[in-house]
Amino acid sequence: MESATVTVGHAEHHHGPPEANQSSRIDRQTLGILLFIVSEVMLFGAFFASYFFLRVVVDPPSWPPEPYHLPVGVAGMNTAILVSSSFTIHYALEAIRRGNHKGLKLGLVATWLLGATFLFIQINEYVHIGFSARDLGFGSIFYSLTGLHGAHVFVGLMLLTFATIRAFRGHFGPKAEDHLGVEVPGIYWHFVDIMWLVVYVTVYIL
Amino acid sequence: MRLNEAAVFKWVVIVGLAAALVVAVTLLTRPLVGSLLGLVIVIAGCVYAYRWARERWS
Repeated sequence: MESATVTVGHAEHHHGPPEANQSSRIDRQTLGILLFIVSEVMLFGAFFASYFFLRVVVDPPSWPPEPYHLPVGVAGMNTAILVSSSFTIHYALEAIRRGNHKGLKLGLVATWLLGATFLFIQINEYVHIGFSARDLGFGSIFYSLTGLHGAHVFVGLMLLTFATIRAFRGHFGPKAEDHLGVEVPGIYWHFVDIMWLVVYVTVYIL
Repeated sequence: MRLNEAAVFKWVVIVGLAAALVVAVTLLTRPLVGSLLGLVIVIAGCVYAYRWARERWS
């Protein structure tokens, strides 16, 4: 009898590693993207430190150095396009929270198109800007900062591509845990948008 | 409170308005004035973000 009791007790006992702790305040996916964003802020911080070192500590006679000029107007229009894309992805998420699948698809497609337009205009700007990354420290830091951001936009577009395909396949639902595949890229996209606002004001305006 | 996309979207609007203010002041005055305003906004934003994060986490 005693051995049977012991066997039942062992069967009820959990084998293998303990269950991972799950916070009741934040789900793992959202915590993961937030920690990733914190690391990205530090990466951008390093590039901004280089920028301000070149601009303030090295202190060239003019900024941008003659004869270079930055296309402030075109970049401003590009900024408006990227900011608009944050509104469209927010619209997509609000739509799926209400169970509106059509709105989700519309918002995601609009966001993807606006992001792709931003990237296209930035590449076009590189082609016509008249200096390269090899032209002084200014050229290096300009291409480094805007290129780093452009790479993030590209990654965001990839995430949005997957989310859009999944949306058209009907993978998402109104409950919070049923649309994490849009929520997480949405948070990343907002981060990319905020970083561009900082890059634009710092590099093109100040 | 829950940390989600809607909470982060609020920050896009806040940073967007702050950036618009810095751009307007810089274009109307001098880059130095815009830079100082930007610095003040960044410091104020950091304090607000710290309080906001604590509120979200408690």
